[in-house]
Amino acid sequence: MNEKAPKIMMEVKNINLRFGGVVAIQGVSFDIHEGEIRAIIGPNGAGKSSMLNVINGFYHPQEGEIWFDGQKRPSMEPYEVAKTGIARTFQNIALFKGMTTIENVMTGRQLQMNKNIFWQMLRYGPAIEEEVQHRKRCEEIIDFLEINHIRKTPVGSLPYGLQKRVELARALAMEPNLLLLDEPMAGMNVEEKQDMSRFIVEVNEEFGTTIALIEHDMAVVMDLADRVVVLDYGKLLADGTPKEVQSNQAVIDAYLGVPH
Amino acid sequence: MTENSATLDTMPKLLARNVSKFGDSPAFREKDLGIWQTWTWKESSEEILKLSKGLIKLGVQEGDHVAVIGRNRPSLYWSLLACQHIGAIPVPLYQDAVAEEMEYILSHCGASFAVVGDQEQVDKILEISDRLKGFKDIVFVDPKGLRKYDNKNLHSLAHILEMGSRDSAELDKELKRRVEKVTGDTTCVLLYTSGTTGKSKGVVQTHQAIIGASGGANQHDSWTHDDYLLSYLPMAWVGDFMISVAQGMGAGACINCPEGPETMQVDLREIGPSIFFGPPPLWERLKTSVFIRIEDAAFFKKVAFKYFMAHAEKVGRDILEKRKVGLLDRLKYSLGNFLIYAPLKNMLGFSNVRIAYTAGDLISAELFDFYRSLGINLKQLYGQTEASVFLTMQGNDEVFSDTVGKPIEGVELKIAPSGEILYKSVGSFKEYYKNPKATGETKNKDGWVATGDAGYIDENTGQLRIIDRAKDVGKLKNGALFAPKYVENKLKFFPNILEAVLFGDKKEFCVAFLNIDMTAVGNWAEKNNISYSSYQELASNSEVANILKEHVEDVNMALAKDSMMSGCQIRKFLVLHKELDPDDGEITRTRKVKRAFINEKYDDLVSALYSDNGSVDTKTEVTYEDGRKGYLEATLSIVDATIYQLQEAAE
Repeated sequence: MNEKAPKIMMEVKNINLRFGGVVAIQGVSFDIHEGEIRAIIGPNGAGKSSMLNVINGFYHPQEGEIWFDGQKRPSMEPYEVAKTGIARTFQNIALFKGMTTIENVMTGRQLQMNKNIFWQMLRYGPAIEEEVQHRKRCEEIIDFLEINHIRKTPVGSLPYGLQKRVELARALAMEPNLLLLDEPMAGMNVEEKQDMSRFIVEVNEEFGTTIALIEHDMAVVMDLADRVVVLDYGKLLADGTPKEVQSNQAVIDAYLGVPH
Repeated sequence: MTENSATLDTMPKLLARNVSKFGDSPAFREKDLGIWQTWTWKESSEEILKLSKGLIKLGVQEGDHVAVIGRNRPSLYWSLLACQHIGAIPVPLYQDAVAEEMEYILSHCGASFAVVGDQEQVDKILEISDRLKGFKDIVFVDPKGLRKYDNKNLHSLAHILEMGSRDSAELDKELKRRVEKVTGDTTCVLLYTSGTTGKSKGVVQTHQAIIGASGGANQHDSWTHDDYLLSYLPMAWVGDFMISVAQGMGAGACINCPEGPETMQVDLREIGPSIFFGPPPLWERLKTSVFIRIEDAAFFKKVAFKYFMAHAEKVGRDILEKRKVGLLDRLKYSLGNFLIYAPLKNMLGFSNVRIAYTAGDLISAELFDFYRSLGINLKQLYGQTEASVFLTMQGNDEVFSDTVGKPIEGVELKIAPSGEILYKSVGSFKEYYKNPKATGETKNKDGWVATGDAGYIDENTGQLRIIDRAKDVGKLKNGALFAPKYVENKLKFFPNILEAVLFGDKKEFCVAFLNIDMTAVGNWAEKNNISYSSYQELASNSEVANILKEHVEDVNMALAKDSMMSGCQIRKFLVLHKELDPDDGEITRTRKVKRAFINEKYDDLVSALYSDNGSVDTKTEVTYEDGRKGYLEATLSIVDATIYQLQEAAE
């Protein structure tokens, strides 16, 4: 879809991230095009989640630059990054377990609710109007992800696959430009994976959201992604289309394995 | 009602009547984005007329067949009605049918247009559209996922409505001309039977027949425009067409559409309908879910539930049927109502239910008593697609579990010498579409239609009693009666058994296939720390087999007491390694067993049951939801059950 001069949405340049003596990421550079699905793969401990955390402002790399929307980004906290239109989901689901689906999804609108606490306590006038608008948007997302039937169910009691979907819903509620998904299909069965893949493609196509995802299931990655980054021991091993990556000898040796 | 059927003999006339008489009362509701949206009769009529004009503009001709496929939603009901306005014939299809099934029906009726709910249905039709002769356009309701489809034959419903609402005197004139041409003899709908035997047949029903039969039913239970119901059963099923379209239109009642199949239970609770129709499996499922939850409840709740349910069993039915009940018992029932019955009904969504119907299959006496003792007026009716459903219905105070009621107005019954039930009805079908041979076999020159069911008029109650499908009733080698459905129903009354298939015609003895109910057995397994990962694993558990053996022996015991049926006792059974599935053609979409098909498909298993082997290896083809096929391999163990002697003989 991006054959002609793709617009670069985000670029990370020469990122180095260290925790004390441990080197997590070593001189990694790559870019994310607007409107694409970009996969980050690699063996355990390759630095994939660290990379997402760098993009999302949770970690601050010792060296390197992050360019977003054509501008060099200063060091930011996660909530500041979120305001720039980057949303994410987590590897271990990070929902409010005691709250219902709709309440969890509504928290995704938090940053866009502007009325002050006094109006909100009054539950009348502008604050309510604002809430109605946001609720409508959330309901549209709930409808989109087909989780209407669990709208009022506490998420703690939901099966894993559905919780993942609720988390995606909450991230979508932020109406992000860039969506970071950390292992969206980990621990799912085949059917749940199919559903999730379908939703990821639909989000990408319907909302035009750019997506960067970490995933271990190679079949899924090769099907979904437009381009793939391969990390290994914190270093960039390969970068290209699924086909290119699959036929890259270094990748095969390090990760994909050799067919017997 | 005083209106005579001669003046209101078509759907367009009924719609006009509803607009003028009940214009501002709600006609359709749908839950959208979490909020119930309401359309009054006036608003609905506007939408239907716009849609009619839009379809004319799209090129739908009089006599064209238009497929309507999707979950229950107002826009699809309006599409049915719009087709009827412009002289086209709506053909509702099951939304979960796979592409090949659709191909058969669409090419059989030569459909030229389809109005569908969503992308899934669009995909299925596009897949087969090359092979459909004369097929033209698809109209879809929900644009989700369809943005990238580049196909000039694909239109959104919004676009069609927009075309229809453009002010055009010409379209108005054409619509008026077409509506005037619709008479009582015009085809109202083409409904395909579920096809328990072979390919399904298209049943042609006229406006007059549909309105005649539904009018009789409405009158029988005095439906009014204050009634409201939940439409959740498949639109392609004749029952939903009759209730949601014909009866709803006839009475001016309000149709409520749930958000989707998964939310049905929640939506049912929110709407609390005054009239509810559920097939027997649904009533069974609800009761099972209540008992499962009570099992998990706290001690006090459990005790209170048991105590008051016992009381309800004792006097509940008498109170509902307005018989004499002592003051003390009444007081105790009121207390029980406050503590248990009313909250329970509220949970189930039956707080306001005035009439609840069940039909399609036999229902156990216990199940019947359970609901009626709670004060839910559950009644049986009997009918079939060819009769526009309604043949017999039960009155409010003459409800029995083993009979199906008396003929309603406009219906005449007689029993053929062979035992088959014949009828003559205002609702009788015109013909099977493009199948004069089958029409002739079913309907004779005098208008008597053969139901294919064997039954008789019960002498005590004067109501009709059904035994089984006429052609399924057979004989064992020793001459004893073989009525499979009767036994299967007895088995299915156990919550653990979802489906059962009995074999034995022209054999020495009877054997059975069983399907376990994943909800009930799964709950039991959880309690007993039995781990399993799939249906197959749970079904092959030996403890499960022991439980089922007890159930089978209970049934054998009951059969032994019945001199007619004692030959049908089950000597051997096995638990199938997969659930019987409409996608595999083993049961119909309305969950009726396709006997001949199963007999052929599982030939190896049947012969193993009649051999001396203790187990059998098998390999079965299965169809996944997306239409792909795969194989399932399993080793099934064969369980022997005890056969009991006739009680009289033993005493």
